Amino acid sequence: MTAIDQTRSTAMGGVTLARALPWIIATAFLMVMPLIFTQNSAITIMNQMAITIVFALAYNMLLGQGGMLSFGHAVYMGLGGFLCVHLMNYVENFEIPLPLPLLPLFGGIFGMGFAMLIGTFSTRNAGTVFAMISLGIGELIAACSIIIVVFFGGEEGISADRTYGLPVFGIEFIKQIEVYYLTTFWLVLSALLMYLFSRTPVGRMANAVRDNPERAEFLGYSARWVRYCSFIASGFFCGVAGGLFAINYEILTEENLNLITSGSILLITFLGGVGLFFGPIIGAIAFTLLQTVLSLETELWQLYVGVLFLATVMFFPGGLAGLMAMHVPVVKLGKMNTLIVPYIKTLVPGAIGLLALSGLIEVIFHAKHATADDHVMSIYWTTFSTHDILPWVVLAVLSVGGIWLAKRNAPELLEAWGNANTLGD
Amino acid sequence: MTPALHLNDVRKSFGKTEIIRGLELAVHKGERHAIIGPNGAGKSTMFNLITGRFPVTSGNITLHGQDLAGLAPYEINRLGLSRSFQITNIFPNMTVFENVRCSLLWSLGYKYSFWNMVSKSRELNDGAAEILDQINLLDKRDLPAGLLAYADQRALEIGITIAGGADVIMLDEPTAGMSNTETDYIVNLIRQVTENKTLIVVEHDMGVVFDLADRISVLVYGEIIATGAPEEVRGDPKVQEAYLGAALEAEH
Repeated sequence: MTAIDQTRSTAMGGVTLARALPWIIATAFLMVMPLIFTQNSAITIMNQMAITIVFALAYNMLLGQGGMLSFGHAVYMGLGGFLCVHLMNYVENFEIPLPLPLLPLFGGIFGMGFAMLIGTFSTRNAGTVFAMISLGIGELIAACSIIIVVFFGGEEGISADRTYGLPVFGIEFIKQIEVYYLTTFWLVLSALLMYLFSRTPVGRMANAVRDNPERAEFLGYSARWVRYCSFIASGFFCGVAGGLFAINYEILTEENLNLITSGSILLITFLGGVGLFFGPIIGAIAFTLLQTVLSLETELWQLYVGVLFLATVMFFPGGLAGLMAMHVPVVKLGKMNTLIVPYIKTLVPGAIGLLALSGLIEVIFHAKHATADDHVMSIYWTTFSTHDILPWVVLAVLSVGGIWLAKRNAPELLEAWGNANTLGD
Repeated sequence: MTPALHLNDVRKSFGKTEIIRGLELAVHKGERHAIIGPNGAGKSTMFNLITGRFPVTSGNITLHGQDLAGLAPYEINRLGLSRSFQITNIFPNMTVFENVRCSLLWSLGYKYSFWNMVSKSRELNDGAAEILDQINLLDKRDLPAGLLAYADQRALEIGITIAGGADVIMLDEPTAGMSNTETDYIVNLIRQVTENKTLIVVEHDMGVVFDLADRISVLVYGEIIATGAPEEVRGDPKVQEAYLGAALEAEH
């Protein structure tokens, strides 16, 4: 029975340092981030990131853990957010002693309540039926936002002021940095709870039902109930994200409920990787950076995000997190060094080629859409006129050459990858 | 004594076609009962009727005297009946260990709990390890189940089926598509893990059937034409005729 004993020792054990370490590092990292990036704009981006992470993780409770594709998940976040904006106004108007940091809890409960209602019929099936119902509910609530003006505020939405509440330990949440720490607290708490949820019996069965609902039924579990449990848990954390959004932006509009928001959370989660718990976190960080930083650089940022998404779906279904996880066995075999040279030989020309190609797109876009006398543009720290032939030639040559070189060297990388994943030398 | 499983004049029609035409079957507690019959006789349909995958058109099915009419598969499972499938039916993306652990959850009373950590329960982890030891997959516990070799997947499926501690086990062609050595291995495994349980098995391999079963029922065109000990059934002229007839038909 030695093998069983061995199994025992590895399977058992509650909180060990090795398991807690990623959480401790992540928390410490979040604490010091504002000390490194002190500008207000950076903190704004980080707040947005944190909120998106909570939303994406909650969304992945359905998509990745439970195998349910929702096209209308903005609704649960939006409703939680709207409720919190109203609560902020109540606190202001009636001087209710409700501390601001507790608001996301109420947002969560509201999101969960709505999920409990919708889940009763939408979780009967996974697959297409579920997706279509989620789409319908998404449209319905987005349409309601213009009809039920009392709650949704019509086209201008509902706004509030977070600073009118009671100060908590003397903090009035006027400064962005104060909101940052509030958001971070909820981010860490929600992420931890969502992670722990995935380790509970119902969380494990969510995986089982995702893989094979029929088999799960023959193990004594109602697939529908398991889906329902995941659905309301997801609704809760979406509502928390909504509450954080309300605190951060102090306004919610129809945009928070509509299909564009629902679509982008799907994109974010998939980009990061649905198969691993930390996937959506990476997706949210990458997407927020693209959305905020890249959108300052180019009007075409959505094109690039779209291409990135397409490439992920086609070539790396595991997403960015899956791409990282692929390297774990290689590192374990101690063969990461054999990959460095092939990586440089393929990825550097590939990156140059793609950057030049997007440069070419930018030049075409500028030449086509700028006003007739505006022919000076600057990309990659270079300023030139779109009427000159040289920039066109340089960009075209670089993109064709780079991509050709990358394609030529790709088989070498594939071979090195194969070798790096096999035992022995 | 009430039979472990009793089918009383069970009928099933798909549209106008009657597939199961008045099944009568009583499986005693603790026996190993094999169902044989030509292709298309309705063996798998019978399994699906018993386990609640399809509703019966008429007649009734009782498990330890309790009527199963209108119960969903998960409710029937909770009454102590567990089944495997003809086509391997496991959780391919989960690890082997996780497959077995999930199948223990309900029987150990965890239900839809979200306040317990599965990794902290000794009975759950030890129980899963013991099942893995029984089906000889302990060394492959951390592999995704979908990557196992075919015979191992079949063994895992049997492990999942018995893990919940059901006392009536139904196996649908457990040795389908296996080599002789693999078949011997699985038959031994089945014999071990169904000790003191009621086993109902559909099987094509006559060697396996006569080796394993205490009693055999022959299902032809939706009816049981004979039930009895292996020797009786082998000598039954009706069975020989039906099998021969079906074999001839299959040729054309």
